[in-house]
Amino acid sequence: MKRNLITTLAGLLLGLFFITLLTLFQLRESEIGVVTTFGRFSRSLSDPGLYARWPWPVQRIYRFDKRIQNFERKFEQTTTADGRSLIISAFLGYRISNPRLFLERFAGGDLTSAELNLEGLLRDTKNGVIGRHAFSDLISTNRARVKLRDIEQEMLTLIQPKAESNYGITIELLGIKQLGLPESITSKVFERMKAERQRLVKQFQSEGEAEAIRIQADADRIRQEILSQAEAQAMVIRGQGEAEAAKSYAIFEQNPELAVFLIQLNALSASLKDRSTLVLDPQTPPFNLLKGHLPEKPASAGKSPNSTSDRP
Amino acid sequence: MNQSPSSPPRPGAPQGPKPDPARPLEQELGSQALNEALKSGFRVIHWLMILVLISALFSGIVTIQPNEVAVILRFGKAVETRGDRLLQPGLHFAFPYPIDEIVRIPVGLSQTVQSTIGWYATTPELEAKNQEPPARDALTPGADGYLITSDGNILHCRATLKYRITDPVRHAFRFREMKSILQNALNNALLHGASEFTADAALYRRKIEFKEAVIEHLSERIRSQELGITLDPLDIQVAAPLSVRPAFEAVLAAEQERSQRINEAQADAGQTILKSAGESNAVHSASLAASNQMVLAVAAEAQFFSAQRHHFEANPKLVSQRLITETLERVFTNAQDKFILPAGHPGVARELRLQLNREPVRLTTKEPQL
Repeated sequence: MKRNLITTLAGLLLGLFFITLLTLFQLRESEIGVVTTFGRFSRSLSDPGLYARWPWPVQRIYRFDKRIQNFERKFEQTTTADGRSLIISAFLGYRISNPRLFLERFAGGDLTSAELNLEGLLRDTKNGVIGRHAFSDLISTNRARVKLRDIEQEMLTLIQPKAESNYGITIELLGIKQLGLPESITSKVFERMKAERQRLVKQFQSEGEAEAIRIQADADRIRQEILSQAEAQAMVIRGQGEAEAAKSYAIFEQNPELAVFLIQLNALSASLKDRSTLVLDPQTPPFNLLKGHLPEKPASAGKSPNSTSDRP
Repeated sequence: MNQSPSSPPRPGAPQGPKPDPARPLEQELGSQALNEALKSGFRVIHWLMILVLISALFSGIVTIQPNEVAVILRFGKAVETRGDRLLQPGLHFAFPYPIDEIVRIPVGLSQTVQSTIGWYATTPELEAKNQEPPARDALTPGADGYLITSDGNILHCRATLKYRITDPVRHAFRFREMKSILQNALNNALLHGASEFTADAALYRRKIEFKEAVIEHLSERIRSQELGITLDPLDIQVAAPLSVRPAFEAVLAAEQERSQRINEAQADAGQTILKSAGESNAVHSASLAASNQMVLAVAAEAQFFSAQRHHFEANPKLVSQRLITETLERVFTNAQDKFILPAGHPGVARELRLQLNREPVRLTTKEPQL
């Protein structure tokens, strides 16, 4: 009897479990869902929790991930407003916001099919927006002209309502992922880059030489100024010396004859100071003594030394 | 009433095949074996159920590791525990699945994302050997990554982003592929950064500013998209295209040469100026010395003059002869070679030939003369 009771309870529990499985379902925190009854829409579910349902085949539950999903596709060529070819890829973050519409647009809520449609929408939007902008809006040395952020915002503004109304998808974010150039253009860019570098090499070489010459010229100028100042100061010093010496010159005026005589003697002494070679006559005093000459009778007093016939 | 297989057949009853006396025993044994097998099977199932029950009960005991937090989903909905939806590291209890579900979120771990748009095509083997692929004259879209700079040039760039999750709930329940979203935010930041810098600036002159610009763009994206992460230092590798690299290196070499040339010129200039300062001092000193010497010499001459004047005025001939003789003495003493010619015959011309070496030119300081 006891065994029968346990078996009955176990059976009841098992049955309850299966019934629960058939009539209840959970919606996770990251999900939204749609309930259909005999294939017709019954209700949307946006909050997580435990829900009741009629068992299959009466009701069917469709669950979708409501988190933001990343979407990106091909690197495609497009043309700017000024006819420049550009390869561009963009990415977007989307989430399923209207599960009923999403389910209706894509059979069974097929995500692959949805992303194919999203790809087409993104391509159209991207080409449309880029086609309205000049190449310089994307790439320019003038920073004020670059409108990358504006272009991204323009694309987002354009794609948002279409995705929302057509697919039940909300585009949360959009950005340009990559900009590129056609392969043939990249080789041209490389050639230009090489030419620019060569120009820079020459420029740097010239700049270095010019700067070096300027620096040296400045140094020479400064040198000349310093030496000129030094010469000027030297001249002042010599002038001061002359002025100082002039006080002594006044003494020579007491006997100009003697002064001139002394000056001549000094000049003679100075001019034959070092390593001179002298060719002398034996009449030259004091070598005249070698010939046994007696000194001449001294001249009378007061006679000028210039008047003597002696040879110095 | 059923007859037992062992009871004897009734008289008059049709005779069937003669029963095998061993058969009832075999059947009984078979029934017993089946009965035992079923009992054993039920016992196994019984124990298995107990095991499943016990494991289900214990499956609710969870340990959250130090570098993670967790959220309990009860019937799919996040449960608030003590005012917070997050379970901190430690031991916790939850009901078994499908009632409760534990979602673990690695908050402490530093995670890495690398950019995908800016680097040239290479292979893992070459990367491992730290080698570069051969340079090519063009880049293939889709295969080669690169950035276009503001001056329309091309450069390669690879960024490695490290981040930590600071808002685990947003991270777990708002974004499905956080790494992909973050990777594209990084790619986008590189693209925007490159659009603001020339190739030379990004590569050499303003490398740090370029990195800061990329970080700024990335931070702005993270803020606006509320990604709930914190950035760790960003590593950015920038390189010139392989085929243009020699040209870039030539520019660098030329810049170095320019700097070197300027440095040399500055050094020469410094030397020239210092030398001229020395020359200036020399001129000053020489002029001062010459001036002093002149003053002293003149003073000495004046003193000599004064001393000789009275004697000269008294006997000019004697004084002059004396002074001349003294002077000749000095002159003859200083003379290196002295030739005294004998007196010739009157009226006969004489010829004297001297072969003298040229004296080297000697610069002397100009001395003041009386």
